[in-house]
Amino acid sequence: MDGVDDPAELVPPRRPATMSRLLTLCVLNALIGAGFARGADVDYARDVRPIFAEKCGSCHGVLKQEAGLRLDAGSLIRSGGDSGAAIGRTVEGSLIWQRVTAAEGAERMPPEESGKPLTAEQLGVLRRWIEAGAPFPADEEVAASPRDHWAYQRPQRSAVPLIAGASGENPIDAFVAERQHASGVAPFSETDRVTLLRRVTLDLTGLPPTREELRAFLADESPTAYETVVDRLLASPRYAERWARHWMDVWRYSDWDGYGKELRGSQRHMWRWRDWIVESLDADKPYDRMIEEMLAADELSPGDEDALRATGFLARHHYSLNRDLWLDSAVEHTFKAFQGVTINCNKCHDHKYDPLPQTDYYAVRAIFEPYKVRIDRLPGIADTTQDGLTRAYDAEPETPTFLFARGNEKHPDKDHPLAPAVPEVLGGAFAPDPIELPLTAWFPDLRPHVVEEKLAEARSAVTAAEAELATAEASLATATDAERAALESRVRLASEQRDAATAALESIEARLAADRAKVAEPADPRAGALATVAAQAERRSNRAAAQFAAATAEQELAAAQGAVKEDDAKTKEAVTAAEKKLAEARTKLDEATTALALTDANYTAFGTQYPRKSTGRRLALARWIAARENPLTARVAVNHIWLRHFGSALVPETFDFGLRSPRPQLQSLLDWLAVEFMDAGWQMKPIHRLIVTSQAYRRTSTGEASVVSANAAIDPENLQYWRANTLRLDAEVVRDSVLAVGGTLDTARSGPDIDYDEGEKVLRRSLYFRHAYEKQMRMLTLFDAASPNECYRRTTSIVPQQALALANSVLVVEQARKLAGTLSADASNADDAAFITGGFETVLSRPPSSQELTACTEYLAAERNRLADSSQFTVFDAGPAIDTPASADPAQRARENLVHVLMNHTDFVTRR
Amino acid sequence: MLQHRRAFLSNMGLGFGSLALSAMLQREGVAGFTPPSGQPLHAPKAKSVIWLFMIGGASHMETFDPKPELTTYAGKTIDETPYKDVLTSPYLANERIVLPDANGLIRNEVFPLQVGFKPRGESGLEISDWFEHTAQHADDLCLLRSMWTEDSNHGAQLQFHSGRHRLDGFHPTIGSWITYGLGTLNENLPQFCVLGTPLADCCGGQEAHRASYLGPRYDGVPLKVDPNDPLPYARPPQGIYREEQAAQFDLLGKLNRLSAQAHPEDEQVQARITSYELAFRMQTAVPEAVRFDDETAATQEMYGLNKSETKEFGQHMLAARRLVERGVRFVQVYHGSNGGAGGWDAHGGLKTNHTANCLATDQPIAALLTDLKQRGLLDETIVVWATEFGRTPGSQSGDGRDHHPYGFTCWMAGGGIKGGIAHGQTDELGFHAVENRHYVTDIHATVLHQLGLDSTRLHIPGRVRLEKEFGHVIPEILA
Repeated sequence: MDGVDDPAELVPPRRPATMSRLLTLCVLNALIGAGFARGADVDYARDVRPIFAEKCGSCHGVLKQEAGLRLDAGSLIRSGGDSGAAIGRTVEGSLIWQRVTAAEGAERMPPEESGKPLTAEQLGVLRRWIEAGAPFPADEEVAASPRDHWAYQRPQRSAVPLIAGASGENPIDAFVAERQHASGVAPFSETDRVTLLRRVTLDLTGLPPTREELRAFLADESPTAYETVVDRLLASPRYAERWARHWMDVWRYSDWDGYGKELRGSQRHMWRWRDWIVESLDADKPYDRMIEEMLAADELSPGDEDALRATGFLARHHYSLNRDLWLDSAVEHTFKAFQGVTINCNKCHDHKYDPLPQTDYYAVRAIFEPYKVRIDRLPGIADTTQDGLTRAYDAEPETPTFLFARGNEKHPDKDHPLAPAVPEVLGGAFAPDPIELPLTAWFPDLRPHVVEEKLAEARSAVTAAEAELATAEASLATATDAERAALESRVRLASEQRDAATAALESIEARLAADRAKVAEPADPRAGALATVAAQAERRSNRAAAQFAAATAEQELAAAQGAVKEDDAKTKEAVTAAEKKLAEARTKLDEATTALALTDANYTAFGTQYPRKSTGRRLALARWIAARENPLTARVAVNHIWLRHFGSALVPETFDFGLRSPRPQLQSLLDWLAVEFMDAGWQMKPIHRLIVTSQAYRRTSTGEASVVSANAAIDPENLQYWRANTLRLDAEVVRDSVLAVGGTLDTARSGPDIDYDEGEKVLRRSLYFRHAYEKQMRMLTLFDAASPNECYRRTTSIVPQQALALANSVLVVEQARKLAGTLSADASNADDAAFITGGFETVLSRPPSSQELTACTEYLAAERNRLADSSQFTVFDAGPAIDTPASADPAQRARENLVHVLMNHTDFVTRR
Repeated sequence: MLQHRRAFLSNMGLGFGSLALSAMLQREGVAGFTPPSGQPLHAPKAKSVIWLFMIGGASHMETFDPKPELTTYAGKTIDETPYKDVLTSPYLANERIVLPDANGLIRNEVFPLQVGFKPRGESGLEISDWFEHTAQHADDLCLLRSMWTEDSNHGAQLQFHSGRHRLDGFHPTIGSWITYGLGTLNENLPQFCVLGTPLADCCGGQEAHRASYLGPRYDGVPLKVDPNDPLPYARPPQGIYREEQAAQFDLLGKLNRLSAQAHPEDEQVQARITSYELAFRMQTAVPEAVRFDDETAATQEMYGLNKSETKEFGQHMLAARRLVERGVRFVQVYHGSNGGAGGWDAHGGLKTNHTANCLATDQPIAALLTDLKQRGLLDETIVVWATEFGRTPGSQSGDGRDHHPYGFTCWMAGGGIKGGIAHGQTDELGFHAVENRHYVTDIHATVLHQLGLDSTRLHIPGRVRLEKEFGHVIPEILA
């Protein structure tokens, strides 16, 4: 109770003081005395709690605790907040009493702008309650503080439960078994090896196993045969491509979109970021490092162009039409993707569910406020719209961030600029430290390859001009009289051009030298002189260029005059236009000539320069996110991984771990995995290995009907993973699998985004095609591809258009014909049964059942005969052209059609 | 999985809408959430909607909302007219723009009416001389002269369909909510069809007929009026026999049913079998719906298929009739797509622009209304004529009008909507909607109501819909 009586220890007021003093304490006391008899019965629940709820609830309740104080339960009122207990030994010695009865101003609660003071009647109730010892019901329920929300606490490595009968090898199974034992569901056993191989191969690589892989696995009798497969798959580059696409969903990958050629959303050359994702996953780059590079490679390793590609994450938010929307996107999706926090909800007001005040939104925006996107030159490409390194940088370190009243950008609160910060409720240290950038980062045109290319370009202009002059002079030397006048003009023009090119080269060289001196460390004493030289060289170059332009205009005028026809108005207009052009050129020449007299040192810099310092805000954010202390980062990541192996997530809303996400049934498992992930150095491959080698992952999807119904009665949604979920393949996996089983998948990696319209012709994996608003491959969108705008998890639909796509796509028909050809070329498949088995094993990664074999054998026999005499058949009246025609041999054509059927089989698009 | 999913499965094939429900199977189960049954909630007045959208912003004052005061005060500034209060109206605050540019401004110099008006039909509704044919149906039209929207740029095209501002991103559109709420009447055709070139990507693009978070099952399916190539993947590659494909589908059905037996837990197999059966029939049904061989010469002529100016839109109108006749719920028809802001966007030369656009659409629209009526379809089909905003009372570029979100006109006909009335008013300049003001989603709510749905009950868990997305039914216009 110490300190309660000492108002000096009160928390400093957070609200501005007001000057008016209307009531005094003694007046209040008089009023109270008048209205109520001391000692009258006061009931906490009936009389006291409603007063606190009305007067104090908004700042001292379950959602918000100013000064660490909650007043929504008797026990909490007694224990008090940062300033100590609220109830003292006496009424006047109680902090709560002091504050509610303070004279109007800083001390008085509630503050003037939050509500009216307590009425005399309310004060009377409060006094009598304190006098009675501030009693409250012993069984009072205290609403859990949102700050105590499970996801805001650091995950702990839970003790792995010891469960009788559960295989103790994989901790995942122990946690799952513990939950299952408690609820009484009976888990299914391990699935058959054929199904398991297809499952794990699709999940890890996005492609079905080959027939050879299937046979090898079935033949491998070693007890670690499955682990061998898992290691092989994780080491495959196909793994990186498959999981890159998953993370591209989460990180909101998009190629540029725009109206015609005009860039609007995202940025050009985003594929370099995609390649960075693929390479990072391939190398199993630690996730914490990936976060740091995506959010702040320009601050972390400003000279590392490979790492800079990662800032495509930031470039993706670019939106040319509206800077506020751009920054909104950066704030929203950084927090959804890495933190599972819907901070976008508090743009306009305090978060309705989570303890995030509106100011948190703008404090986070302040982290991003300085950043913009630019495209740096790459060796060999001067035009950065053609190619270049798209990257983030801090362009405007001084721009303040204002809170927008009700989120409306028309109403910024300019009196209270917000400093960059992270949400307080998540804890951790956020300490931005400005970063001095290396020269190559803030003056990228001084990088050697850019300097070389610019000089080379200028030199080649000189060379070309000299060559032209030599040619012209040679022609003049042998010219006839008739040719002489024209050739003299040509020589004169070539000579002017040579002079202009030479002067331009000298200008570039001089400006380069001056800029180098200017930025030299230590300072170059010649900088001033070199600047003067550069300025002079530039003026000479300007004059030479003007001279050349004037000479050109003169000759054009002469040509126009020579072409005049009296009856052709256009030829006369051409003369007028040429005269005007010449006049303008002469004016410019005069100006350039006059400028030669100047002696100042003002010259055009050799290249664009950017701020020399970066604010360090994004790096601080990245480090705060990637810190072990962050309660959310690892959990959110392993939840995403888990979702994509099981088809259901441990926390269903993958982007919202806030209060709307109740404690998950398997929190101990989630937390154990999160800690394991961090302990394993944030590497993903060990987590994948752990998951796919668990029994929980390896279960069969089908079981005894009686067990199914018993289990379903307890856990209808299979939240306890008592069986494997049956999943429709992702859009990219459907298309890629067609190519893979057809045997023509082009496994080339990396490179510029391929036109989305080429998906039927170009045989690359689907993630390499353009993916942007209005620029998505139709086959993929039909199968629920990610929306480029946002996709934290895919949905699955079943629509007839999907059936039409697989049935009628040129790509699918061609692949079917090719595979049928390959299979038939193998002599061992001469027999239909062998062919059918080959088809099933290649397309569906399993042998046919006897019923299937029968149905297919009958089909082949019947079709062979029917196709042998197709004179009664009608061809579809129109359709797209196809390069691979149907076989002329009816038997082979029937086989092609069978393979095509298998590519439409429900099992082909299903992972069991 | 959830019990109600099983109930869906057992209902498969029992009636229309079953496929719509099967698509629901794949949505995450949420306790306490019941998706729409595919049946109307109350007795419907209409079954289908034909939604005509004039891209670019048709002038309300030169089409369906004459303002003679514009001619009276032509050349004066609005400040010099008795109606200068329009420039200080609180309604101006509703404007929300993506990016300030040279358009979407208030234009001060009053621009006179560019066309004459006459009272039409028994109702005497005043309709522009540029809509002579449509005007013959005046007694069936319900003019909504008090529409308003927020976006003064062409993102209003998207806003018209989703009820959300372009800056808010993409949301389900009216056609997708309808198909989500109601099953289809003909499973051999897409339930939500789109005719005409869609919006340009500046202004919402394909998202103006997509379903966003409802899923692609409810996306509008663009159809071409070309029996040989009506929709993507509608035809197999060249040289394939119908008979051999039929045999393939037959074998596939057999194999998939074997798979269903082997995997009773797989709730998707049955839906996939159904979807293939549908796909097979769609290959015939969709081209048939856009093939006009069996339409009489008189009918084709009525729609203007014999004239170059009216041929394209006439084909769309005729196809629209054929689609609703076959049970398609929602046909969205675009007019005026030009790869940019839209053909009706008459910043300059309004007279030339609107004369041509009206010429291209007037006769086909009138033919559609005539045809629906004579076939008894107008009673169960709501026709909506809409545009993203109106145009300014003041002039732009001397002879055009700028974008105008504060007051404009749409109309509805058929499907239990009162005909021969004008509901709501703009002020004397046509500046602000001043009487019975309606935000764009009030049309959505009204259409949904006539179809037997309640817009406020259409949502899915985890997705918050704003109040303004639901709209309010306009009771005064219900017959």
